[in-house]
Amino acid sequence: MTDEEKKGFLKAIKEFIYGMAAHDSARFALKTRASMEHLFILVTMGDMLGVPLLPPYYSLRLLPYVVPQISTWKRRMLREKDLTDALA
Amino acid sequence: MNSLIIIVVALVVAVLGYRWYAGFVDKQIFESDPHRITPAKMYMDGVDFMPTPKNVLFGYQFKSIAGAGPVVGAIIALQWGWLPALLWLFLGVIFIGWVHDYVSGMVSLRCDGLSLGGLSHKLISPRARLILLSFVYFYLLLLAGAFGGVVAGALIKITSGPVAILVLAICGLLAGQMIYRWRVNILVMTLVCVVLAFLGIKLGEMLPADQLLGSIAQNKLTWGLFAVIFCYFSAVMPIWRFALPLNYVAFYIVMFGLLGGIIGIIVGLPPVQAPAYTQFFIGIGPLWPILFVTIACGACSGWHAMVTTSGTCRQLEKETDAKPVLAGSMLTEMVLGVVALMTAAAALPFDKYLEMVKPAGGGPGAVFANGLGNLLGIIGIPMTFGKTLAGVIIVVLSLTVMQLVLRFMKVATVELVGEYSPILRNNQVATFIAAVLVLFLIQTGWWQFLWILFGGANQLLASLALLVASLWLMSQGKKATFTLIPMWFMFITTIAALMYTSYNLLSKVFTGKIVAAAGQSQAEALIGNGLMGVVALFLVVAAIILFIDGMKALKRYRQQPGAGMVPEAK
Repeated sequence: MTDEEKKGFLKAIKEFIYGMAAHDSARFALKTRASMEHLFILVTMGDMLGVPLLPPYYSLRLLPYVVPQISTWKRRMLREKDLTDALA
Repeated sequence: MNSLIIIVVALVVAVLGYRWYAGFVDKQIFESDPHRITPAKMYMDGVDFMPTPKNVLFGYQFKSIAGAGPVVGAIIALQWGWLPALLWLFLGVIFIGWVHDYVSGMVSLRCDGLSLGGLSHKLISPRARLILLSFVYFYLLLLAGAFGGVVAGALIKITSGPVAILVLAICGLLAGQMIYRWRVNILVMTLVCVVLAFLGIKLGEMLPADQLLGSIAQNKLTWGLFAVIFCYFSAVMPIWRFALPLNYVAFYIVMFGLLGGIIGIIVGLPPVQAPAYTQFFIGIGPLWPILFVTIACGACSGWHAMVTTSGTCRQLEKETDAKPVLAGSMLTEMVLGVVALMTAAAALPFDKYLEMVKPAGGGPGAVFANGLGNLLGIIGIPMTFGKTLAGVIIVVLSLTVMQLVLRFMKVATVELVGEYSPILRNNQVATFIAAVLVLFLIQTGWWQFLWILFGGANQLLASLALLVASLWLMSQGKKATFTLIPMWFMFITTIAALMYTSYNLLSKVFTGKIVAAAGQSQAEALIGNGLMGVVALFLVVAAIILFIDGMKALKRYRQQPGAGMVPEAK
């Protein structure tokens, strides 16, 4: 077994153990962050939905922080969801 | 026959199945292409859809599908002898199990990452999705009842278990606090919590429950209540606070025990003590169809389609990763099922096994704890410590599933009936209702029948997933025989098993021939038998409705092969 192969094998084992032990936790952390982002976007852009939570001045000041999240936020919001999604 | 030879044969079967059959289906039928864009890349949202390395996903998928299911099912099935159980594990996984997991995943991949609910809605009918939800609800309820029974039985017999479980729960809380609040290094947290959990097992030996609690430690209700309260808190607390860190710490305990058991088999080479075959009819029913629903995980399980389509598939980086991740983890689970079978067949004398597997003997939890304890004894781990460790493993695996059930049932209650009654939208109320239902099943039902019904709901889910995959294959003009034959087999076998069990239970109710299990009153047994019989009948009726819709869909796709998805006519 060459050094490259050994490294690859060890990396695979490490990833496998991570997948079993901690990948779930990482996904839930991401889900929590995503729900926080949803709230943040609602606060800053709520006036577009008819819910003016912040005066437009503050919305505009915060807009640069929201822009990078918009594309993934739209995907999450517009995706068809099913009750069984809660299982994973 | 030596147990190591059986495990080696299982490994060979898994490798051959993976290389030949899975390779053929992957290349020739699905024509998986590493360059075709997957939903994880197309719809990346940083949460559900997220490209992930295949080794991580293999671990994730394996952990999601392999819990207490393959362990308990194989142990119960040993009552027919080790050969029928082993043959079903081998043939089931090769011709049905991996096919089911892989095709449901591939169909989801090719349909923009739709979950099984969405796929049945689009490919069969809107009603099929509702039936799927009812299967899932009953599946989870029965699963929680059956595992609750396993936990109660194990904790009555393994008296050193309760304190060890309590310490493990405290370690879970501590792990959550350390990592998310105190921001401690993950290695330090792991080391501290795992060492404490092992010390807890030692403490459990010193403080057995019968000495602490007296006679109530021998009561099924005590431990049923313990399991339900444990899962209630797990369901209402933030998931990072308790459930996830507990599972993380428990992972190391479970791995230590299972690897120790496998090393015990390799070192000790214990011969199989159980007979190859006992008889066609045993207490819970005839070999066909009951064996085929008793062993679900390890051979074929509909639950895997749910996990695969809602979780794993949305993270696959390349289409070619589906074979190692989905087929690979299913075949590995079969090997785990064979190891579990050997803990009962080789590590215990058969008469002792038969005594333990009865309701009064502690059930499969006690069988596994004693069997694995004996195997760990071969590598020098003290017998009492080994048995406590094995007891903790089976209890933790069961509680992990029960936590998930309560969490999902809470969401399902809010979603399904929340709009009719505002109080049901309350987190505590919805969880409480689910917890009471589960406790009711644990107390009134006998876990062996609950297990068969859970297996029935599970295998109906599997036949639905296989039907969905067959319809999709037909819609694309591809061959579907390799999914249609397993679908028919699972459907017919499961309906037969459910009808037999329902008749068996309800005839006892109406003729008054009910025999109460240990720790149960006659009235509880009467209610339990009646309830389980009715649930079995409900599942049969739901399956027949699904059959009608499925037939219509099959006709539709046969008339227009290769025409893509054909919606149901209004």
